[in-house]
Amino acid sequence: MEKQENLYEILMDDIRFEEGLKACMNCGVCTAICPAAEFYDYDPRKIVDTVQRRDNEEINNLLKSDTIWYCGECMSCKTRCPRGNTPGFVIMALRTLSQKLGYFTESEKGRQQFAIKRTVGDNIFKYGYCAATYAVNPDLHPEQGPVWEYILENTDEVFERLGGQLNGTGTGPLRKIPKEALDEIKKIFDVTGGTEFFELIEEHSKRKAAEMGLQFESKGIDNEYFNEVFTCNSGNHNNLESD
Amino acid sequence: MMKNEGKKRIWSDYQKEIADDHFFYVRSCIRQSFFPGSEQFFLNLMRKVLGKDVYEDPAHTTCTGIGYHSDIVPAATIMTVVARHFALMKEAGYKNLAVSCVTSFGLYTEILETWKHFPAELEKTREYLFKATGREFDIPENVAHASDIVYSFRDQIAAKAKIKLVNSITGEPLKIVEHIGCHYSKMFPKSGIGGAEFPHVLSGMIDAWGGEVIDYPERRHCCGFGFRQYLVQANRGYSLSNTVKKFNSMKPYKPDMILANCPGCTMFMDKWQYTAKELEGITFGEKGESIPVLTYEELAGLVLGMNPWDLGLQYHMVQSEPLLRKLGVEINASDKYKTKDGKQMPVPQNLINV
Amino acid sequence: MNTDVVVIGGGAAGMEAAGRIAQAGYSVSVLEKKSETGGNLANWYQLFPDRKDSREVLGYLNNVVRNEKLKMLTGTSVKSVDRQKGVYRIKTSSGEIIDTEAIVVATGFDLFKSERKEEYGYGIYENVYSSADLEKMFRAAEVKLKNGTLPQKIGMVHCVGSRDEKSGNIYCSKLCCVTAVKQAIELREMLPASKVFCFYMDMRMGGAHYEELYLEAQEKHSVNFIRGKVSEVGEAHNGKLIVKVEDTLAGRPLRMELDMLVLMAGMEMSGGGKEISELLDLDTGDNRFFKSTDNHFGSNMSNSEGVFYAGTCIAPMSIPETISHARAAAVDVIQYLKSAK
Repeated sequence: MEKQENLYEILMDDIRFEEGLKACMNCGVCTAICPAAEFYDYDPRKIVDTVQRRDNEEINNLLKSDTIWYCGECMSCKTRCPRGNTPGFVIMALRTLSQKLGYFTESEKGRQQFAIKRTVGDNIFKYGYCAATYAVNPDLHPEQGPVWEYILENTDEVFERLGGQLNGTGTGPLRKIPKEALDEIKKIFDVTGGTEFFELIEEHSKRKAAEMGLQFESKGIDNEYFNEVFTCNSGNHNNLESD
Repeated sequence: MMKNEGKKRIWSDYQKEIADDHFFYVRSCIRQSFFPGSEQFFLNLMRKVLGKDVYEDPAHTTCTGIGYHSDIVPAATIMTVVARHFALMKEAGYKNLAVSCVTSFGLYTEILETWKHFPAELEKTREYLFKATGREFDIPENVAHASDIVYSFRDQIAAKAKIKLVNSITGEPLKIVEHIGCHYSKMFPKSGIGGAEFPHVLSGMIDAWGGEVIDYPERRHCCGFGFRQYLVQANRGYSLSNTVKKFNSMKPYKPDMILANCPGCTMFMDKWQYTAKELEGITFGEKGESIPVLTYEELAGLVLGMNPWDLGLQYHMVQSEPLLRKLGVEINASDKYKTKDGKQMPVPQNLINV
Repeated sequence: MNTDVVVIGGGAAGMEAAGRIAQAGYSVSVLEKKSETGGNLANWYQLFPDRKDSREVLGYLNNVVRNEKLKMLTGTSVKSVDRQKGVYRIKTSSGEIIDTEAIVVATGFDLFKSERKEEYGYGIYENVYSSADLEKMFRAAEVKLKNGTLPQKIGMVHCVGSRDEKSGNIYCSKLCCVTAVKQAIELREMLPASKVFCFYMDMRMGGAHYEELYLEAQEKHSVNFIRGKVSEVGEAHNGKLIVKVEDTLAGRPLRMELDMLVLMAGMEMSGGGKEISELLDLDTGDNRFFKSTDNHFGSNMSNSEGVFYAGTCIAPMSIPETISHARAAAVDVIQYLKSAK
């Protein structure tokens, strides 16, 4: 029997939750302009209304569902809410808690956090950038088009003409970030719980990979589990009545 | 029919203070990776054309905003990373922050607001930063997005302009769609010039440089980046669908180009036109063409008479030749794919609008 | 000049209070800064709940102020106020000095300026009107789009400038829902081929006969009601307006093309009232309206001796409520004058 923590109280400790949830009167302006609500089976108003009811079971279900992973964090909702709520912030608090508790692996969309950690997360430590030209693999990004493959084949020349400093020391676009700076970033992650959070994502994903019978490697993107979470779309996510 | 007086009244309500010199510049992961020429041009514009002091500290890193908004980086972590940048600023003696990325800009603004409402968080961040790095920081006096800064100098740029945003064949102002990144002013309308509903930062540039701003029903709609909705391949349909929605909405107005201040938006509006054409054979410009998408640095560069190939336009998927022809900009085809020293590079195939 | 009472504001509340005070035999001067009396009342055509012409109520009020003890000073505002030994010395904009024992503040309300709700495009997109604009069209018996054609699809937007932190007013303005229903009925009668949609958060039909009007709107006039606050208004290529809203009862986002939009603007403390609050050092509440000393039994009383409130200067109210409130103010003033003697 699962211990029933008071999930609402735990959420209240998250500053985004405090900022994001005052009281919702279900007016719907958030859902009205939410890009995710147009295409996904998603309704930010319903999520905020559910959470404010403080029902542990409902919040528990949300944390394990695909639902909380549909938001694109554009914050268009924040501009309009007449009560000063921010559904996008509530979503961020829910996502953080879902990962802390390991519930994110229970949903197809939630499992994808592993892929993000192994790309963006690892980039931060390795390069000091969330994204960098050399880290955008055309196999993972066919939508970047033929120009991208070209740029990757001719990066030095491209950057040199445009004033770049690709992996150079000193200043300039895509300079190599000095090791001391990367060390400081790593220390910041260590001290603030960032590293621990990354490790939680890894730990839970490893467990889930074993459950699903998928090959898992401790580093990199070349493994079955990464591939699965990066590409799997059941097709059951859409708002069927949208244009 | 739209009335401009109404918009002008709104713009005057949202005039934020933008510093005019001595900037600490923080780069954008996306802009330097996908539009390196743009960041370089911004620095040249500021330093060489306008004679301003813009300082770049090689020790600055990503703000980790993409990680934060895809929910792998905790709030305490990003606050401390940001605080480290403030500490670097303090060390270098700078009080004005110039931010290249719109997500970053939104983050710096959000974090400063959070610290105002929750001083305990500010104290915690000071402790974390000191513990991790031994550094201390001050709150910057001014935080501006790089597009704010270009906006504030738009009249000086207009005075030095070699090109006007006018169709050189018809004499009519070019019809320009301006797209503002969501994190620029949707979270804190007062932190954006013109607020969240009718932002002026890009339309001000377009007006000053002779173009005509297009309003269309989905103008304020997110481009669809959606962070995790793009980063994970399985989700990209969301990202593509949202951008296509915008394209369909702007198409009847026949825009000559799209201007964006967020590097992600610029990249998406360029690449998703390719994807839509590739997957479904659909285009959104006139006569089966695609609509060139430019950063504000690239546009400012063209206006000041720069060689488009030194700005990097040749490295978009949607090529800008239709726009350059309209502007009357000299198109030196043989120079397009040459190295800095003038050596011929291979020519990429299958780009759009060629 | 000496008078027993000065009433600041010559709208419905000011006229009723002054008239009743004069009827009781006291001298009263009414200071109205505009050239016409009647205040906001003159801006309406048909009044809920029974749709009588506002001119009927104006006629009644003009009669009430017809009294030799009542002086109506239009085009006159308050420049300064001093209090010494229980007497208020008022200097007016025309240079007159009036000494009085009691003051009734009846400065009324201003309608929320719809252009402040930027995302609704008032003043930017043609064919976005306020409820007050529509009343003028009703009075002129002509409802047309800017290009002269008749609207086929009309949207009424509830809660404009009310219940909205972003607009600066979190309170409910009380009368806008019934105004929307009334105007929807009038539109349907005037334009039988039209479709009318009310976009609401709640249907606040809290006055006598309001709910019946709502029922009539649905049963007799086929007015459509969609439960969702309008999030954004845009203009389509064909010139029509596009609203983005969530149909919260169906639980999905909705985009609708409309020819015309009418914004139900809420009531706010008037600019004149704000000036008076400063001149007379009167307390205002968080909602910026004047603050009575007690919500239940002191709603006409202010924090200043000898100063009383009448009408919408303390809160949004309907015309029947305004007139009742003004009569109650008269009772308080008369009681005050009697006990002072």
